[in-house]
Amino acid sequence: MDPECAQLLPALCAVLVDPRQPVADDTCLEKLLDWFKTVTEGDIFFPVGSLNLTPCKKKVWELLGEERSSRGTPGAVPLVTPGLGRPHRVQCRAAAGAPLPGGAAVPCAESPGPEFWGPLLLTPPGRNLRSPGKLLPVSSGAVDTIFSLQGDSSLFVASAASQLLVHVLALSMQGGAEGQPCLPGGDWPACAQRIMDHVEESLCSAATPKVTQALNVLTTTFGRCQSPWTEALWVRLSPRVACLLERDPIPAAHSFVDLLLCVARSPVFSSSDGSLWETVVRALSCLGPTHMGPLALGILKLEHCPQALRTQAFQVLLQPLACVLKATVQAPGPPGLLDGTADDATTVDTLLASKSSCAGLLCRTLAHLEELQPLPQRPSPWPQASLLGATVTVLRLCDGSAAPASSVGGHLCGTLAGCVRVQRAALDFLGTLSQGTGPQELVTQALAVLLECLESPGSSPTVLKKAFQATLRWLLSSPKTPGCSDLGPLIPQFLRELFPVLQKRLCHPCWEVRDSALEFLTQLSRHWGGQADFRCALLASEVPELALQLLQDPESYVRASAVTAMGQLSSQGLHAPTSPEHAEARQSLFPELLHILSVDSEGFPRRAVMQVFTEWLRDGHADAARDMEQFVATVLQVASRDLDWEVRAQGLELALVFLGQTLGPPRTHCPYAVALPEVAPAQPLTEALRALCHVGLFDFAFCALFDCDRPVAQKSCDLLLFLRDKIASYSSLREARGGPNTASAEATLPRWRAGEQAQPPGDQEPEAVLAMLRSLDLEGLRSTLAESSDHVEKSPQSLLQDMLATGGFLQGDEADCY
Amino acid sequence: MCGAGFGHFEWLAGGGAGQDVGRSCILVSIAGKNVMLDCGMHMGFNDDRRFPDFSYITQNGRLTDFLDCVIISHFHLDHCGALPYFSEMVGYDGPIYMTHPTQAICPILLEDYRKIAVDKKGEANFFTSQMIKDCMKKVVAVHLHQTVQVDDELEIKAYYAGHVLGAAMFQIKVGSESVVYTGDYNMTPDRHLGAAWIDKCRPNLLITESTYATTIRDSKRCRERDFLKKVHETVERGGKVLIPVFALGRAQELCILLETFWERMNLKVPIYFSTGLTEKANHYYKLFIPWTNQKIRKTFVQRNMFEFKHIKAFDRAFADNPGPMVVFATPGMLHAGQSLQIFRKWAGNEKNMVIMPGYCVQGTVGHKILSGQRKLEMEGRQVLEVKMQVEYMSFSAHADAKGIMQLVGQAEPESVLLVHGEAKKMEFLKQKIEQELRVSCYMPANGETVTLPTSPSIPVGISLGLLKREMAQGLLPEAKKPRLLHGTLIMKDSNFRLVSSEQALKELGLAEHQLRFTCRVHLHDTRKEQETALRVYSHLKSVLKDHCVQHLPDGSVTVESVLLQAAAPSEDPGTKVLLVSWTYQDEELGSFLTSLLKKGLPQAPS
Repeated sequence: MDPECAQLLPALCAVLVDPRQPVADDTCLEKLLDWFKTVTEGDIFFPVGSLNLTPCKKKVWELLGEERSSRGTPGAVPLVTPGLGRPHRVQCRAAAGAPLPGGAAVPCAESPGPEFWGPLLLTPPGRNLRSPGKLLPVSSGAVDTIFSLQGDSSLFVASAASQLLVHVLALSMQGGAEGQPCLPGGDWPACAQRIMDHVEESLCSAATPKVTQALNVLTTTFGRCQSPWTEALWVRLSPRVACLLERDPIPAAHSFVDLLLCVARSPVFSSSDGSLWETVVRALSCLGPTHMGPLALGILKLEHCPQALRTQAFQVLLQPLACVLKATVQAPGPPGLLDGTADDATTVDTLLASKSSCAGLLCRTLAHLEELQPLPQRPSPWPQASLLGATVTVLRLCDGSAAPASSVGGHLCGTLAGCVRVQRAALDFLGTLSQGTGPQELVTQALAVLLECLESPGSSPTVLKKAFQATLRWLLSSPKTPGCSDLGPLIPQFLRELFPVLQKRLCHPCWEVRDSALEFLTQLSRHWGGQADFRCALLASEVPELALQLLQDPESYVRASAVTAMGQLSSQGLHAPTSPEHAEARQSLFPELLHILSVDSEGFPRRAVMQVFTEWLRDGHADAARDMEQFVATVLQVASRDLDWEVRAQGLELALVFLGQTLGPPRTHCPYAVALPEVAPAQPLTEALRALCHVGLFDFAFCALFDCDRPVAQKSCDLLLFLRDKIASYSSLREARGGPNTASAEATLPRWRAGEQAQPPGDQEPEAVLAMLRSLDLEGLRSTLAESSDHVEKSPQSLLQDMLATGGFLQGDEADCY
Repeated sequence: MCGAGFGHFEWLAGGGAGQDVGRSCILVSIAGKNVMLDCGMHMGFNDDRRFPDFSYITQNGRLTDFLDCVIISHFHLDHCGALPYFSEMVGYDGPIYMTHPTQAICPILLEDYRKIAVDKKGEANFFTSQMIKDCMKKVVAVHLHQTVQVDDELEIKAYYAGHVLGAAMFQIKVGSESVVYTGDYNMTPDRHLGAAWIDKCRPNLLITESTYATTIRDSKRCRERDFLKKVHETVERGGKVLIPVFALGRAQELCILLETFWERMNLKVPIYFSTGLTEKANHYYKLFIPWTNQKIRKTFVQRNMFEFKHIKAFDRAFADNPGPMVVFATPGMLHAGQSLQIFRKWAGNEKNMVIMPGYCVQGTVGHKILSGQRKLEMEGRQVLEVKMQVEYMSFSAHADAKGIMQLVGQAEPESVLLVHGEAKKMEFLKQKIEQELRVSCYMPANGETVTLPTSPSIPVGISLGLLKREMAQGLLPEAKKPRLLHGTLIMKDSNFRLVSSEQALKELGLAEHQLRFTCRVHLHDTRKEQETALRVYSHLKSVLKDHCVQHLPDGSVTVESVLLQAAAPSEDPGTKVLLVSWTYQDEELGSFLTSLLKKGLPQAPS
């Protein structure tokens, strides 16, 4: 702890314990607790050095639980539960007649206070407390309180109570005061016994919430505790769990599924135990389609499980798509999906019951299969062709072009027509399926359905976006003709059909569609810019011209995407057709983009321009290479004036690329990298420095070093350090220290610091620059800049000062929230 | 709409509006549909706590499958700040609804916040510009009063809420059940926005904000006068005034306030606004002029109120200019950027003033100076002595207690749920609503679930044939006099229809079966069966004047479809058994006749 904080803390404790003093808000109190946790390493009720924090901490806990935040729950005490992944402040309220844990307002001799709860809650499960035996006063009623809190109206409290119960169970199983771990088969400790009795009782309860609570406690236990006693626990409780399947309807089905999967995943659990798999097999046939899917997916994701079960689970997962295929396929379809999949009446019922149940089931199925597809443990053989066929059918049902083969098919046609939700899910899955191989005709089908989707006037912007994404994935994964640089046989024809559709979408009234179309164009040309088929199809279309027009789009997002797309097309000489009538359009794009950088009112297009320019410089684009110095000077001059720090930071990135090209690339700092011989700079150093001065790079970099936006200053610092390292290798210039320019450099720095430009660009002399570089403590600056700019305000000292200062001023004012 | 019709309203993670800038995020389950209302962030935290804990929404599968849609009420970050995180990092892929102005302005504020988080705090694991854009692509923009069909069962409708440009209240409806969520709203028009309005939609539940649950409206006028006076006095004595604001929102209200005052007082002192933002604000206010108040809309053609005569774009070099000036600079909590830079320059002069028009979270310079700290530690252990005057004046536009009551009165909900407020104030308002409006009121804490039972009404279509038949009976329908109508209820394709039995048989392809009820009534009568039947006929003829009573040649009597036959049991010649038989259609008449005859026949005249 800082001495400053140690000095402030007693005063804060005095303020907190004084009921007349105004208290800080909940946020401050939570932050204070966070800090206590860090300084005491999770053991907040033990003194820190000579300073005993206990009274202060107690008060914070009380305050957090006061009426102000918990509303009408006097005597409440907050619990900080680290097990949730983040600390949650919850109010522990007293159930009728139960003693309050640590309730200051309702003192109870029997109830454990923060001395009990604090360390318990702040210790991760499985970690030994100093003396857990002493901390588990079973007779005190503490556990009963937790039982009642499981049913609290607050989700946070109920969830925390369940986790706390697991915590207590784990601690009690760690051993009593003697610290001896309990062995499976032996007597359960009294506290654990009570918890298990409670769980058993809850599992038999007719009230679903009780069953849910019990199942959740068990799931958390098996998920977190991997000691042998958990297996004994399962042996004891599994019959009760299995009994739930005999009820109609099965209570808390989703918690039931979670528990089964959690037990199956537990490393402690012996996989040869047939009772678990028996229950799982039964569950797969008893549960409704809503819960069957997650269970089936969970089983298929398991590393070890009986093959027969995997087969059954996969059939369950495929069931809805199999139904769809059966309902629409006129002739027997490709083998795989329909094999062994009996018509499941429940699945058909769900598909036919209502639009939302049908859409829900299909969306879930598609999402599950999408999750399964890339996994190494996915079933083999993977019915790629059938899945592709089914997904295409689903999409055709959505766009109304599917031909029903039965009454179920007719019903599905009516239900799914225009269903955006299912369309989106199917397109996502279709995109994922592009990663697998399939017969040619199915690839054609997939591309055809995607094209229809992109073309359909009824497609919503979100559907179009997903269709573009799926199309891109299919195109980029399409097989190429071996030994040929051109695209496969299917693609050229597809591209010829695609570009007119893309043209249409570039003129769509919704900005979202125009933007998605531009993003698609950028990606496609990035990957295929060098392919003759692609170039040919693109240049034969009006796509480049339309993209160029979108540089003037009213929507800034679209302008930015148009800049990126045009930058990409231009890099590959695709920004305008080569025919003589398009000579005007083939003119350089540079002035156009520079104009956007200078005048666009929004940051996105300006940032996009800077990225394009940086890429151009890096790749030696004609516009940049023609007169590189002029190009860099012009861009830096405009970028340095920009109000958006990200544009300025990008300007420094461009400057770094230029530096690399002038002085050689940056050295690798990787200790394991093979050290390559230093590439000789393109020109002598003085000349190179003069070029850097000429383009105004130093003016820009030195101004940026004192930029009020930290990332700009950081980037500039890195750039100057790189420059200094480079120069250091030149002995002739190394000893110029103390020369006549040093004084002038030192005089210039404060002016830069104040945000003024020192000299007109290009007037800097290399010697003056070197002098300035030497006079700056760049390492020191870099370490200062590494700290966040609000590190002072968010320090513990600042928090304590703020809490102490809270009072008078805010009290008289009206509360405000924007 | 199906099922038992239980509303399920979950207050997932909200924020006390009082001394806490909260995360508004509410989960509503209505007739099997799940809707998330707002997706706000908490600006007081730098860790995960700044966003709501979405894992509480469902542990059962993906969020996209669980939620039917997300609705954003307005562009303030405590209502939309977690949206890109939710949609692009947590993975919600469903539709997001908001109004057109909110869709336009939301990304600007999110981008602004992102830049500060990345720039100032150096956070790497934060949502990116691309994520904001991808999130905005999932948005479906809605117009005011437009009924938007989310799916076949769920529909939403936006109402004007005032508060900030584009703010809306939303009605969420599934079948006959509905919920109205107000977001933040203002029931009195201000200088640039109109008052919130909703029709008498009688929702099952109204979820209303209650920030100013105990505030009285007049205090706002006083604050405005006070604000102008303080600004005026400071510039009069040659001081500079800094007003840290957020890019869009209340800043425009303050600009109009100052502009009008400058015009009236003919003041020449320059007023500046952070460069870039004035143009942006102008652009959006021009674009969405129908969302402003009547006065601005009316005068818009002659003069755009947002093209200020006295307020000019600010350049950072101006901060060092001598003489008085007023500067609106961003961000509003003095935690980074231009406002903090200017503050540092001006803090040392006691002639200057900083006016904080909104709440500041802990960990910002704004919070420090508002809590009265005058010596601020800066980087490198430098100490900045704050000699300038520090003022706090709230200018947010929320409905006061009267306004909230007015809205409840307008919408006539069955129940009210208070959110976005301080417990004490909410308690006061809750009692007021319950006592004065006789409406049950709830005020759940964060994470609490409120479950409200509703009585779903099931619409039934009536066939024209059945109606015509009823009309043919000569009885015209009357609104105030409910009438009994008999028919067959058919449930088909989730629809209910009432048709005549003949039509039902035809539609369902069923054969007709007659069902008759028979009852024996013992009569004490020594006469022959035929005579008894005749007596029964005479009696019924005299009692049932409106019915067709017939005496058939075989001796039996009929009343409509009811058939009566007299028989003599062999064991008791003094008793006759009357067999009464009727079809189920005449169930009422049959029962009546049975009970009538059980009383016996009138004495025959001697």
